[in-house]
Amino acid sequence: MEPLDASLDESEIEMPAEPMLLNVGPAHPCMHGTVRCVMELSGETIEKVDVQVGYLHRGFEKMCERGTWSQVFPYVDRANYVSPMLNNVGFALACEKLLGIEVPARCAYYRVALGELARIADILTCDGAMAMELGAFTPFLWMIKGREMIWDLFEEETGARMTHSFGRIGGMAHAPTEGFKETATATVDQVCSIVEEVERLLLGNRIFLDRLQDVGRVSKEDAISLGWTGPCLRASGVPYDVRKAHPYSRYEEFEFEIPVGTNGDCYDRFMVRLEELRQSASIVRQALEKMPDDGPVNVNDPRVVLPPKEEVYNTIEGTIRHFKIIMEGLKLPAGEVYGYTEAGNGELGFYLVSDGSGTPYRVRIRPPCFLVTAGLERVITGEMISDVVPCFGSLNMIGGECDR
Amino acid sequence: MNEIELREWLETWAWTLLPYLLMLGKSIFAGAGFSMNLAVLLTWTDRRYGSMLQDRIGPDRAVVYMPKMVARGGAFVPALLTGGAVVAYAKFGVDNISAAQAFFMSQLAIFMAWFTLMIITDAVHNRGVRNPFDQFLAAVRNPRDMVYGGFAAHVFALLVLVGAGTGPGHVREFLFFGGTGVLFVSIIGGAGYAAAQMVEDQIGLRLLGLLHPAADGLKSIFKEDFVPEDADKLLHGLAPFIAFFPTLVVLAIVPFGDTLCFEARENGAVDIFKLLPIVPRDGVCTDAAIQLQVVDLNIGVLYFFALAGTGIVGAALAGWASNNKYSLMGGLRAAGQMVSYEVTLGLTLVGAIMIYGTVQVDDMVRWQVENTWGVFVQPLAFVLFFAAAVAESKRIPFDIPEGESELVAGYFLEYSGMKFSMFFLGEYIAVVTSSALMVAIFFGGWHIPFLYRDGITMSFGDSMIFHYGMSHGLVVLIGFLAFIVKSIGLCMLQLTIRWTLPRFRYDQLMKLGWRMLLPLSLANILATGVVVLALDSAGTSVNSALTLLCDFTELFLVGGAAVIFVLVVRFLLQPAEHRRVVASTSAKYAEAAGGTLTAKMGA
Repeated sequence: MEPLDASLDESEIEMPAEPMLLNVGPAHPCMHGTVRCVMELSGETIEKVDVQVGYLHRGFEKMCERGTWSQVFPYVDRANYVSPMLNNVGFALACEKLLGIEVPARCAYYRVALGELARIADILTCDGAMAMELGAFTPFLWMIKGREMIWDLFEEETGARMTHSFGRIGGMAHAPTEGFKETATATVDQVCSIVEEVERLLLGNRIFLDRLQDVGRVSKEDAISLGWTGPCLRASGVPYDVRKAHPYSRYEEFEFEIPVGTNGDCYDRFMVRLEELRQSASIVRQALEKMPDDGPVNVNDPRVVLPPKEEVYNTIEGTIRHFKIIMEGLKLPAGEVYGYTEAGNGELGFYLVSDGSGTPYRVRIRPPCFLVTAGLERVITGEMISDVVPCFGSLNMIGGECDR
Repeated sequence: MNEIELREWLETWAWTLLPYLLMLGKSIFAGAGFSMNLAVLLTWTDRRYGSMLQDRIGPDRAVVYMPKMVARGGAFVPALLTGGAVVAYAKFGVDNISAAQAFFMSQLAIFMAWFTLMIITDAVHNRGVRNPFDQFLAAVRNPRDMVYGGFAAHVFALLVLVGAGTGPGHVREFLFFGGTGVLFVSIIGGAGYAAAQMVEDQIGLRLLGLLHPAADGLKSIFKEDFVPEDADKLLHGLAPFIAFFPTLVVLAIVPFGDTLCFEARENGAVDIFKLLPIVPRDGVCTDAAIQLQVVDLNIGVLYFFALAGTGIVGAALAGWASNNKYSLMGGLRAAGQMVSYEVTLGLTLVGAIMIYGTVQVDDMVRWQVENTWGVFVQPLAFVLFFAAAVAESKRIPFDIPEGESELVAGYFLEYSGMKFSMFFLGEYIAVVTSSALMVAIFFGGWHIPFLYRDGITMSFGDSMIFHYGMSHGLVVLIGFLAFIVKSIGLCMLQLTIRWTLPRFRYDQLMKLGWRMLLPLSLANILATGVVVLALDSAGTSVNSALTLLCDFTELFLVGGAAVIFVLVVRFLLQPAEHRRVVASTSAKYAEAAGGTLTAKMGA
């Protein structure tokens, strides 16, 4: 006789069920073309997810070791291609830290103004794309219209809409154009009115709020342990902003607030960005007010800054100086430095190692996106597949910066 | 049965069946052609409207180039013919000029005059002065001034006509013949001016971008029809038809207009050349009538529910047959969503059916003509039905079966070419048909306030205020146009929703369907039942008070329409706002080269 409980297993009716494996990306509309997520789904719920990055890896850090220090700028442009000006400024500041020089006041304020404009463009893109991926197409195009205004301004200032390569070690490529202050003020005003319109359309909308609130929550502790910085960290309730904590480029002179979220959900990340846009607009206005109309933009240091063209063509000293800086590169003293600034997605760090020659020995970029994307797995596990869209959108992963 | 008998038998049957077959073919052609054209037009409107909201350029790239002389002829010859017809009508067609004729001719002439001048002035402002006439027009600061002047002229002509009263006919003659002259000059002059401006060798015909959806349609026919390797070939091919067909044939039960009454021949057939001039207000002509409806089914809206339910099968099949996980999820979502919302869709109409006492759409409209529009007696049902109908058409905010950012394209991910277009057009047709059905059930169908089968009657309760008899044909025509305008209004409402709202999540959608819409529709049925019972047992005084209230809703509708008209005109007359503040260097160069219209430096 068999024991009674032997038939127990058979009496339990179990439907044979196995989780569905779904390969999302890298060529998927919500993955922005650069991330692959292998999801295990139970119905619509994500049980497990494996986030794989690296589809946009282009070896920037290695490429930086081939040229001069100045030739790094185009690479950092292409890291965060949504707000390249912030990367430019960040790299220039890191190099200046190693050189031990400080740019004139005019340049510092100019950098702040341009950088904050780039931050506004970054936020417009991120929040707009988030709304678009949730199906609200109109706010996205309105915000992109605002970004277009900023890019027009950048084109006027730097000659390029997106990859400006405008920063220089010890200054900027050019002085501000004549009408810069007026145009920038008008642009910021227009962008703010667009954002108000977008808020009227979105923030009173029950569907939009339901899609964002209580979705993708990250606690304060988790955010810190994941190494998050920037808007994502602040949305979880940690008021850390490099501009306040470790001011650079005269940020200590500006009056601005750090918006902080309470829940750390997608809605908080969305709102923190929107509020930061307002703060950035106020910083731009302050910077334009403080910026002197004339005066030098570049440091007065012949080792670092190229001589003016008249000198290059007319004097032997100028020609030689130009030749040395172009052919050998300006020489950063041997040593290491970690320069860090607040970029669109958080703390953007440049860890530079110089051996004293004109070529970088090592340029290590600390991308905020990489660490933020590392948290994606924790954010979306247990959520529904539709929630991937706002979660991933609110983390604002930029492929170029994450994969480098 | 020998050969001759067989032939005779066949001939008899053939001759009996042929008219029915013809009738069937005509109906199918009318229904399918009508709604497919509507879908294409709605696609165009959708894109245009979206681009307008989003401040960008709409679809306008499809263009047909014509030789200069053909284009000139195309502009001028029809104008010449029209102008000639107008003059011939004024010369030979009219014996004794009535006030109505003078009114129509003068107003039409004034409208054509200011409209033509406005368009030419706008063109002059945009492209610069080319000839002395342009110089004259360029002196007008703003083309909108033409509109104001035109309105003033309209009112002036009307005042002159009213002031002359029924006295001597000189004023009427002056208005009529003067109007004819102005109309002729503006038609010929406008077309001639347009033809004279066609100086390039090849003239591009864009028709406001209307060619774009046509080009898209042609393209999709000639595109590769891709079927995934492991797909179920039969079901993959069948699914678009099953999804497309129900949306197309639903329109069959919707009446576009009132029944047309004709004189009967001796054998009882309809004499379609003899429309009755005047019909009484009550009663429907029975013997020689043509219903403006593809088919008058006695099951009425049940037909709509039955067919709307069939559409699910197409979406679910497409998702299953494509052998793709995204498609499968889309198909599942579509099935879940449509089944859930079907329940609400059916239950919301129960209240309306209880009040109207019929399921036939035609009779529902007649009830509304006699009493009041359905939206006043069943407001909640309309809101619920609208939400459920948008969900049935699977468009934003209910487009989770497609869910572009999550499921790429959902259940039709693996479709291309015309098969894809059938899903795509099916959605647009669903928008049109659901709008038409909602107009018929909730917005009085072809009815406009105070217009009845015998003309305009303004009465409150038993007291008649105003009556003006109108011919049968005109009343039906106005009703048909009213139906079209109302349907377009509801379509535009759906488009606005599509361009402003984000989409739901799957569980939120189900919650909305089962926990909000369904209980509300049940409550609606309960409340309607209680009210209907209460009214049945109420006295005559309550009923006459209700009749009076119904008459006042018509007044309310007229007032509302007037307010909306004024608001729309005010909106259209507002100066357009140019938001672009910064013109970059390249934009400035382009402007200097005469390239861009919108790059204005406003900083």
